[in-house]
Amino acid sequence: MLLAANNHLTSPDYIVIFIYLAITIGIGIAIGRRVKTGSDFFLGGRRLPWWAIGMSLVATDIGGTDIIGVGGAAYSHGLAVANFEWIGCIPAMIVGAFIFIPFFYRTGVYTIPEYLERRYNAGVRTVMAVCWLLFMACNLGIMLLASAKMMSEVFGWNQPVCILVTAVLVGVYTCVGGLAAVVYTDMIQCTVMIAGCLLVLVLGIMEVGGIDELKARLAEAEARQTAAAVEVAKAESPPNEVSSETNSKANSDRPLEHTSLILPADTKSPFPWPGIFFGLALILSPAYWIGNQAIVQRSLGAKSDFEAKASYIWGAVLKNIIPIIVAVPGLIALALLPDLESGDVAIPALVNKLLPVGIRGLFVAAFLAALMSSVDSYLNSAATIVSNDFYKRFIDKDVSEERLLTVGRVTTMALVVWAVIFAFLLTLMNEKSGVYAIFQTLMAFFQGPAFAVLLFGFLWKRATGTAAFIALLCGIATSISLYTLNQEVIYTLIGWEPLFRVEEPFLYFSVWAFLVTATLIVIISFVTPADSEEKLKYVYHRAKRTNEFENAVKGAAV
Amino acid sequence: TVREALMAIPLSGVRVLFVGSLVALLIWVSALILQIIVYSFL
Repeated sequence: MLLAANNHLTSPDYIVIFIYLAITIGIGIAIGRRVKTGSDFFLGGRRLPWWAIGMSLVATDIGGTDIIGVGGAAYSHGLAVANFEWIGCIPAMIVGAFIFIPFFYRTGVYTIPEYLERRYNAGVRTVMAVCWLLFMACNLGIMLLASAKMMSEVFGWNQPVCILVTAVLVGVYTCVGGLAAVVYTDMIQCTVMIAGCLLVLVLGIMEVGGIDELKARLAEAEARQTAAAVEVAKAESPPNEVSSETNSKANSDRPLEHTSLILPADTKSPFPWPGIFFGLALILSPAYWIGNQAIVQRSLGAKSDFEAKASYIWGAVLKNIIPIIVAVPGLIALALLPDLESGDVAIPALVNKLLPVGIRGLFVAAFLAALMSSVDSYLNSAATIVSNDFYKRFIDKDVSEERLLTVGRVTTMALVVWAVIFAFLLTLMNEKSGVYAIFQTLMAFFQGPAFAVLLFGFLWKRATGTAAFIALLCGIATSISLYTLNQEVIYTLIGWEPLFRVEEPFLYFSVWAFLVTATLIVIISFVTPADSEEKLKYVYHRAKRTNEFENAVKGAAV
Repeated sequence: TVREALMAIPLSGVRVLFVGSLVALLIWVSALILQIIVYSFL
């Protein structure tokens, strides 16, 4: 246990945690009394206000492991990890707010796969629904396990008990209250999360002695790290063969990596600028904010398309502060505790150093808030996909709203049970086997191809269902092939060099998979018959010109 | 080939690319000004 011995919690800490949990679950269950139909359960009856949805978007995006993991990554690799919250979120949220989200809202769909069937065909919908369901179901288990591991190591809590208690608590209010409970509890969780992290940030800066002192200490820490890296490289290599990066870092005017957002293309960290700009900002980020069911679904529950837009804009404004309160504490930890064994222990060690007994409960509540706000969202969205894209689509097309509510609740309970079982199965796997890593990068396998299919369908009337279906499968196969060829066992076996030089090249997988999918969509669309006029209603420019869905909005607003 | 092409771009040019993209998005559309400030100086 990393810090459990020192990080013990006292009665006041547990009181803070208990109050937070009681308020969250109480609100979730109280909202459940208003849930009468499937629409209430999956879209909050389309009565959700923009300010609550915006905070829910931010809370959903920050998971329990992020609270500690992002700070840890900042400790190890520097401020470049903040790109994931800044250029990796805000531009996509703004484009989504003005173009994509109001359009999805006006079409009246429940899920992104449902939109893809209306635009393309049932095959594309089913492949996407399977991909998202597989990802969400696996991710639920991973989130429970990763967070339970952290709670076990940091607070000394029993790991299986953490998994079970978290799953039951989140399962109860999500099952009873549906999306409305998820959004309103996320709003509380977002507030608790920001308060807890802000406390660590402020106390940390005071402890260091101000911003200027922090910069000076980071420069010292990086100089020490670079000197150590050069020494190690010299010891391990013959003279004149020390890597160019190590030498250039030591001798040139390269920027200090710990305080730079933009890192060189040949950095050894996982965040080189081409990966951040082309992989994250242009592909993974729009794919996440425009095509991720767990994210888009809450905006589809807004009171109007204007409120749906406003929720994304409010989320984008809030996103500006997230890296400051989540990543900067990692830099503070580097300044105050430069000799930790790894970045993973940076934030717990910092909390242990800064927060007096009795106030640590607020940080633990922030951690739990981040965890629960992500688990409840994925739980509700996975249930929505099962109920709408499988049950309603293939089993009972004329299902009543009341029956759909029952299906949604039963599915939610089943997913809770599955998540617990999957988390326990993962604990039996050896982390070095690579299975765990595959599940963690699951989203990178299909997000690039999925975004290409969504983007071309949305903007290009000539894109056909056949092209989208074939290109989507080929794009996913491309991602999996690149991942496989980059495994040491495989490339050694066939006598190749590794395809990518950065530590975790998932940003590059998505770029290449997106390009392959986009190219195939264009080529195959030109050799297959164009789609019917009915399908073209779901192309953005066509619908905008004919006001196709405007009447539906006016009707809904009456 | 791609790696060599990307390595040839100086970091100052990369910063112009990041900030320029954000400015272009702002003109198209104002969260974005905070981003422009952040990417201009960090």
